[in-house]
Amino acid sequence: MAVPVQYYLVLSAAIFCIGLFGILTRRNALMFLMSVELMLNAANINFVAFSFQHGNLTGQVFSLFTMALAAAEVAVGIGIVLVLYRNFADVDVTKATTLRW
Amino acid sequence: MMPLQAPISPDWLALTPAIVLGVFAMVLFLLDSIDPDESNDGLLAGVATVGTASAMVVAGVFLLSGVGAGEGVSVFNGQLVVDGMALFFTFIFTSVAALICLASIEYLAGTDDIAGYYSLVVLATTGMTVMAAANSLATVFVSLELLSLPSYGLVAYLKNDRGSVEAGMKYFLIGALSSAVFAYGISLVYGVTGSLLLPDIASALAGGETLANLGGLLGVGVLMLVGGFAFKTASVPFHFWAPEAYEGAPAPVSAFLSSASKAAGFVIAFRVFTVAFPIETVAGTIDWVLAFQILAVVTMTLGNFAAATQENVKRMLAYSSVGHAGYVLIGLAALTGQGSGEIVLGAGMIHLLVYGFMNTGAFLFVAMAEYWEVGRTFEDYNGLATKAPVACVAMTVFMFSLAGLPIGGGFLSKYYLFAGAVGAGVWWLAGVAAINSALSLFYYSRVVKAMWLEEPNGNLGGIDTRGYPTGLYSAVMIAAVATVLLLPALGVFSDVAFEAANAVLRLGP
Amino acid sequence: MAAEGGIFTFAPAIAVLPFVSFLIALSAGRYMPKKGAFAGIAATGGSLLLSLLMVAQVASGHAHHMELYTWVGGEGVPFELTFGILLDQLSTLMLVIVSTIAFLVHVFSLGYMNDEGEPGLPRYYAELGLFTASMLAFVFSDNILMAFMFFELVGLCSYLLIGFWFRRSGPPSAAKKAFLVTRFGDYFFLIGVVGIFATFGTGMFGGPGVEESFPVLAEEAMSAMAAGEAMPEAVTTFFGLSPGAWFGVLGLLVLGGVMGKSAQFPFHTWLPDAMEGPTPVSALIHAATMVAAGVYLVARMYGFYALLPTLLAIIAFVGGFTALFAATMGVVKDEIKQVLAYSTISQYGYIMLGLGGGGYVAGVFHLTTHAFFKALLFLGAGSVIIAMHHNEDMWEMGGLKDRMPVTYYAFLSGSLALAGIVPFSGFWSKDEVLYETLVHGLGGSPILLGAYLMGIVAVFFTGFYTFRMVLLTFHGDPRSDLAEDPEPVRWNVKIPLAILGTLAAVVGVINLVPVHAVVGAVPEFLHDWLFHGPETLNGAHYEELTEQFAGYSAGAIPGLGGLGTLFASAGVSLAVALAGSALALGLYRGPDPAEHTEKLGALKTVLYNNYYQDEYQVWLAQDLTEGTVAGTAKRFDDGVVDGLVNRVSDVSLVSGYFLRRVQTGIVSNYAALITLGLVVLLVAFGIMGGWFGGVFA
Repeated sequence: MAVPVQYYLVLSAAIFCIGLFGILTRRNALMFLMSVELMLNAANINFVAFSFQHGNLTGQVFSLFTMALAAAEVAVGIGIVLVLYRNFADVDVTKATTLRW
Repeated sequence: MMPLQAPISPDWLALTPAIVLGVFAMVLFLLDSIDPDESNDGLLAGVATVGTASAMVVAGVFLLSGVGAGEGVSVFNGQLVVDGMALFFTFIFTSVAALICLASIEYLAGTDDIAGYYSLVVLATTGMTVMAAANSLATVFVSLELLSLPSYGLVAYLKNDRGSVEAGMKYFLIGALSSAVFAYGISLVYGVTGSLLLPDIASALAGGETLANLGGLLGVGVLMLVGGFAFKTASVPFHFWAPEAYEGAPAPVSAFLSSASKAAGFVIAFRVFTVAFPIETVAGTIDWVLAFQILAVVTMTLGNFAAATQENVKRMLAYSSVGHAGYVLIGLAALTGQGSGEIVLGAGMIHLLVYGFMNTGAFLFVAMAEYWEVGRTFEDYNGLATKAPVACVAMTVFMFSLAGLPIGGGFLSKYYLFAGAVGAGVWWLAGVAAINSALSLFYYSRVVKAMWLEEPNGNLGGIDTRGYPTGLYSAVMIAAVATVLLLPALGVFSDVAFEAANAVLRLGP
Repeated sequence: MAAEGGIFTFAPAIAVLPFVSFLIALSAGRYMPKKGAFAGIAATGGSLLLSLLMVAQVASGHAHHMELYTWVGGEGVPFELTFGILLDQLSTLMLVIVSTIAFLVHVFSLGYMNDEGEPGLPRYYAELGLFTASMLAFVFSDNILMAFMFFELVGLCSYLLIGFWFRRSGPPSAAKKAFLVTRFGDYFFLIGVVGIFATFGTGMFGGPGVEESFPVLAEEAMSAMAAGEAMPEAVTTFFGLSPGAWFGVLGLLVLGGVMGKSAQFPFHTWLPDAMEGPTPVSALIHAATMVAAGVYLVARMYGFYALLPTLLAIIAFVGGFTALFAATMGVVKDEIKQVLAYSTISQYGYIMLGLGGGGYVAGVFHLTTHAFFKALLFLGAGSVIIAMHHNEDMWEMGGLKDRMPVTYYAFLSGSLALAGIVPFSGFWSKDEVLYETLVHGLGGSPILLGAYLMGIVAVFFTGFYTFRMVLLTFHGDPRSDLAEDPEPVRWNVKIPLAILGTLAAVVGVINLVPVHAVVGAVPEFLHDWLFHGPETLNGAHYEELTEQFAGYSAGAIPGLGGLGTLFASAGVSLAVALAGSALALGLYRGPDPAEHTEKLGALKTVLYNNYYQDEYQVWLAQDLTEGTVAGTAKRFDDGVVDGLVNRVSDVSLVSGYFLRRVQTGIVSNYAALITLGLVVLLVAFGIMGGWFGGVFA
């Protein structure tokens, strides 16, 4: 007997919320990035679970796309974090506030 | 429907603009790897400009020769569809990109990795072009990221400029958050309907059975999609990155993001909501028209009010860009089923076209002012017309056209939007937009007043010492001429836009 | 129609010529002998000739309509936007008026601007050319959208011209006020235009060869409703309103633009300030362009307003009230141009009163005569101002009669017309306005009698301030050295004055209603002219409409009969005008008149301060803002216009200030706000869509 799809949904929602919580509370840019990854993976869990539920492969393929894009995103993100560190001597995202209002 | 007679064969040729752009991006990479220290920026800019301009020409020819007429050409089993709307937007993206490439030559002088800059611009344009044709949530997501990732890099391009880096960081973080939300939204929609193809989603929802059982899940998913689009189009509450990114980024990049990237956000929003979630089917569960009405009102009001209090011209333009997103949102917010939807949707498309030129031109003028080192505030622009009258005429055209005075195409496109909103029975939306337009005249005319009526502050020496930047100057002039010409010549585009909007709206079952 | 094409094909040139002069003055003005003046004179002269040809053509044959350019149209578009030209009796008449005045103003400017050695003349002539061009194009517009666009352009040009001396402190602020106040009205107009397109699918005014025009469609809808039939398909109303109510809303929206431009209460505050512009510009603005544009629009779409009795009553009342209100303010002003400014507001009030009171011909008639005598008075005042070296205070003048006789006699002719003394032109037209209102008031629309009463009282004040102005300026002994030895003016000032002086005296001949009533052989030219317009655009049709829909019918004073009423009305208005004039004569006659305004006591202060119009509008807006923004409001005070406009922008600036504070610069806050926004949306739509019951069902 397979696990009902609702459980997956609850799991993914929980992970999504954990990621969101991380984004709201963490000030370190790298932690911010990791939290985003959590949220993306929450989506992946959904895709795989629903793919199984619907009996087509679309969802699984999509989750592969998501992973690849997440990797690319991290690559760009790390680059930006690097120049952020060079200019502000910190990876605290709340420190860079020269532009506002 | 006419018998399906392929207007182009083989059908993937319909994607020529995207292919051309992709090839040129590769060429730029190739040039860079052959000679990494390439200092001939004219060559790189030339290649990029030729690439984007030829994609623009192809899109224009396709558009006028009816390649995308009716339901358009479906490619890769319906994952992409090249129809009138796709080509129309491709034309907007490529023309803006061509202007940007032309304008960046002098702006980039002295920075390293110029080839990287141009290839990012061309890649982002490729992403937009695919977005315009994306007909499945998978292609939407992938192409959206293909646009976003280069954009982050472009905003942070000036690696030693704190503003640019900070803007890049904020844009990236908010972007990452939004794409995570967007992906989650897609997963929920997929969970409810079992498909990612937009027409299939619509047919899965058609019976009403799915909606009755899983309506809540779908509603959450759809609202998350709205969030993703709101990010790309810089609509409230996902707009927070925009003022910062536009202010901090190199001015040509700001122009690119606020014109083309915004339009790209709108094209997927237009297609996804009208094709996948026809309002008559889902209205009972998730009334996205109402959601867009709220967003439109809040966005235009917040953008215009915040713009009115800025001292920095570039930041004022950034907020005004948020305001204009609010106007274009009327294109979705007035699809009430009353009146004619094609006018509403078409009006949104037309406004984006005109906006592509007038807003790009305005940002490029700011780029020129930065090049002359006159400063960033309204006061710094005082008396600019005494030194550079022709450029100031162009800027005046942009400002008044943005405000909706009948000097450029902005008047007509706004008129269409208001008329469409009124026709759809959402009077109050047109009213709010009109009040906002009135307010916008106030801050746009501040620029004009500073340039023409105030005495110079003695900060205009850069115009004499640095001279006119040829590429930038010609890009500003081209944009100005296009803005003015779009007033009488809008008829050509409006027919195409209304036709395209009509085709998109009928695709839904 | 082809045969008729002939001369009409040149019609666009009427507006194109001044536009070309704009381009010439702009590009090459500084190299030309009179800085571009001759180009303007030649162009407006050409426009005048062409306009006269058009009148002749319209008189000999039929009115003409042609489409020049389809702007937006085609399949799938529910309405077409076109540019076209409508030449009928009304528009050709107005074209002649506008081009005549523009021509004379150009000539006069040679004396006022060139001879005085003003800088920036190419800009002046360029703006003047564009101003004339846009007004002419506005006049011959065949649809309301085109009219709106040129209406806006007229507003923009007057902004530029009022602020011509932008290096002084007053003009830019006056220009901004004029622009913003009129634009405030124009936004209603714009919504009205959109509404008209949405309702009728067309914005055409009508005319030969026009299949669908919105006044006619409105008429059909109203008739259908009255007969209990279904509405015509082409017409859609909104908000579930009946056609009558909905058309009323549309009419009111358009009226917003009209009242702004024509300076009707309470939008009149910009006009006295606009005196900061050069005097020839004031003449043009007041007599034939900017201010006239508003009332012309009402006349142009009279077929629409004639269907709506409420709107007609509003127009008549606003007009009557403005006429009285502005006239009372005119009696205490010290500067000659200020008196004229208030007289303009007041006279346009009469025109509105005439139109609202069912006197279409009367309104147009007064528009015509007023154009001539007001242009004359302004140019006369300009001549005096040249002579007085730009001192405008009437108390410094006096005794100019003998030193500048041409100016004096011309000015006197204009003043007699303004005061409405027989047989000068203003008498005939003002009398007809009042007469039409009176008879319609007596004939079953008693509400008009109130407006009539205000109009007749205003006649008294008009006579008073007019002659006060004449006496203070020209009579008595000189009260300053300048007045002792005024600077002489040249031919280019005198000739326009002489021409206009003659016209102001005799132009009333075109519609001698009381004379016609007695001696049938004396024709009523204007009446016949306007009654022979195209099918749905003529006076006869309008008369039917007002009778059918607004219930206007001609009554008479009991016991006097039609003819008796006519003469009683004329007699009363003449007597009142004479009484006002006589009072001024009595008070200000003699070599050294005293300032009698002191006798008014506290009332004088009120009048001096224009009934505290600016102040109360400021107060209103301030009180609204004070509570929330006390401290910050001051910060944004710089560089913004005074009055209402000032406060409105303050409110938006202050709220903008708070809005931008949300943008803290800290990216985590943005993430939090985004999350919050999304959650609010989710919860709101979740409750609305009833999701919470069925997520896991």
